[in-house]
Amino acid sequence: MYRYDQIDQTLVNERVAQFRDQTRRFLAGELSEDEFRPLRLRNGLYIQRFAPMLRVSIPYGLLSTTQLRMLAHIARTYDRNYGHFTTRQNIQYNWPALERVPDILADLASVEMHAIQTSGNCIRNITADHLAGVAPDEITDPRPYCEIIRQWAALHPEFSYLPRKFKIAVTASPADRAAVEIHDVGVRIKRGPDAEIGFEILAGGGLGRTPILGKLIRSFLPQADLLAYLEAILRVYNRYGRRDNIHKARIKILLRTLGAEEFTRQVEHEFEVGREFAPRLEQHEVERMRGFFAPPPYQRLEHSTPEIGSVSSGSPAYDAWLRYNTRHHKIPGYRVVFVSLKKHGEAPGDISAEQMDALAQLADRVSFGMVRATHDQNLVLADVPQSALAEVWRELDALGLATANIGTLTDMICCPGLDFCSLANAGSIDVAKQIHARFDDLDYLYDLGPIEIKMSGCMNACGHHHIGHIGILGVDKHGKEWYQITIGGSSTGPAALGEVIGPSVPKEQVSDTIARLLEVYVRERHGDDERFVDAVRRIGIEPFQERVYETNHSPA
Amino acid sequence: MRRIIRRRELVADDARYAGEEAGPNTRLVPPAAQFIALLRAGHAVAGGAAVLIGPTDEVEPLAPHLPLLKLIVVDFPRIGEGRGFSQARTLRQRYRYDGELRARGVLKRDQLFFLARCGFDSFDLDPSENLEAALGAFNDFSVAYQDGSEAVVQVRRRASSGGLA
Repeated sequence: MYRYDQIDQTLVNERVAQFRDQTRRFLAGELSEDEFRPLRLRNGLYIQRFAPMLRVSIPYGLLSTTQLRMLAHIARTYDRNYGHFTTRQNIQYNWPALERVPDILADLASVEMHAIQTSGNCIRNITADHLAGVAPDEITDPRPYCEIIRQWAALHPEFSYLPRKFKIAVTASPADRAAVEIHDVGVRIKRGPDAEIGFEILAGGGLGRTPILGKLIRSFLPQADLLAYLEAILRVYNRYGRRDNIHKARIKILLRTLGAEEFTRQVEHEFEVGREFAPRLEQHEVERMRGFFAPPPYQRLEHSTPEIGSVSSGSPAYDAWLRYNTRHHKIPGYRVVFVSLKKHGEAPGDISAEQMDALAQLADRVSFGMVRATHDQNLVLADVPQSALAEVWRELDALGLATANIGTLTDMICCPGLDFCSLANAGSIDVAKQIHARFDDLDYLYDLGPIEIKMSGCMNACGHHHIGHIGILGVDKHGKEWYQITIGGSSTGPAALGEVIGPSVPKEQVSDTIARLLEVYVRERHGDDERFVDAVRRIGIEPFQERVYETNHSPA
Repeated sequence: MRRIIRRRELVADDARYAGEEAGPNTRLVPPAAQFIALLRAGHAVAGGAAVLIGPTDEVEPLAPHLPLLKLIVVDFPRIGEGRGFSQARTLRQRYRYDGELRARGVLKRDQLFFLARCGFDSFDLDPSENLEAALGAFNDFSVAYQDGSEAVVQVRRRASSGGLA
């Protein structure tokens, strides 16, 4: 992983000192609430319903066990013993005291971490494929490029007061596990005619109240121009993005207003005239960065025969875990293990300090001391020898982290909702619990195959509901919590925004509504391989609407 | 008397804007659009002129007239306004403007470092700001990842990083 040098460490330390002074000035009355807000937000600090919420940056989701132990320490010392992993591969703490936040930041800095730009109208955490470096299908490891972009974006003097937040994702795989099409800028690494690395650039994607998929604005950008081109995009956005209406301030609105062609023309023009002054990404810098992401010292192993999961071990629970919670690894004899943070009874993405500590110990033993956060709010041990899988399963199971549901209906994405967030219209966590309770039969879930449920407590769409195969959006109706359901959304292959099936349903009918959707799917499904979302694409939403809104189930 | 920061020192403000009363040793800084209109109407303008540009003003029309200008004031009328950062960089880099470049408006010391790195060298901060204390903000960071256009701060950048250096 990337390791700080003197410059990185100095920058983070100086940011801690700066924020400590800003907090002091606020508490002393020298800064008004309005003045302090943009300063604290750009350091991940929200004032929420009950307490401040602090979001800590995990660049492209990669954590050392030293860092994970520090996250556990922070949960124990400054919070209520747990943290919440987010859809941006970050972690949030829901109960820190404002005056102790500078101390938390100092603790983070001691393990090369920070909360810089985890919120606010600036360039946010760069996200990437959580299987980077181990996925058999990737063109190259995207993380060196992510780190290069992270450094370029950190405290950028020109782009720190943008019209609105700005999210960048990078993928190097055709499977696109980073959902680049729903980002302000999506970077797809590809190879040119001479096998040289370059980038396909998408712009103007995003969810929120105006969900739009990104448009292709450059089909091949040479490696050296990556940062120069990003500067051109950001400069056009910074100058012409709307600032009069927070709901129309994202780059997607500018792109839609200008049209993709005119937007692209302006970016290309800015790129040309600004090139002389823009940073140039030299090959030796890429090589230097690549050095930080060199493969760990893998042992020479053979893939197990027969193939993992293909024969019964005698333990159905272990077999199910192997099948659902582990994935192929590009190195023979290794396997990728998903750590499920979607146990029934727990808020999706939540993890306790004890679980973090135990997981760190396990990762030290079996996965080269590294852990990853996914944008689906799970964790990953990326480099587990196949011979250690049974032991890993037993330990994760004892920790409550082995629910064999990755990719199934109960592997839900869920924002904190009304329980914590001051923006939310409705609860998410208790709806997740309702769904878990209704669909607790794992064999039924396995029969259903891969289904992604994504849920947001308001139209800001932190839970990415638009791209859920089933999307659930909390809305406020005369002070009551109702839920609008969409189906057919997807983050990949190809990405699509879900369609609203009809009027929203009251809270107590959410899981019943999902049951009816599944009933139609099971009835209409073409063979075992047709996923729910494929069936929706094939037959459209009408059969689902008919069933959900039959008269004996009128949602008022 | 209003004070500004110029090249890291506190000095009396030498500018006044439309609607303000003339004070001793102050000169009127007209909006850029008015300045350009005067030039286009054939009025002669002596060197050493000053203009004010707002967030929605284009800087490109000013480009041919930059040799006449000694001071460009960029307005930041609201908290969180950020267009001026790009206007400044464009003036300093693409158009190689080397006169005084001033940031003015709802700005606190917390923006000073970024402003300086974009090429501003004088600062007319929010009246609520403690200017003596604000001078320290030029030293908020001693390092940076990006190239800057700065005149008034010094940062160390990574030598090994080629284009990033």
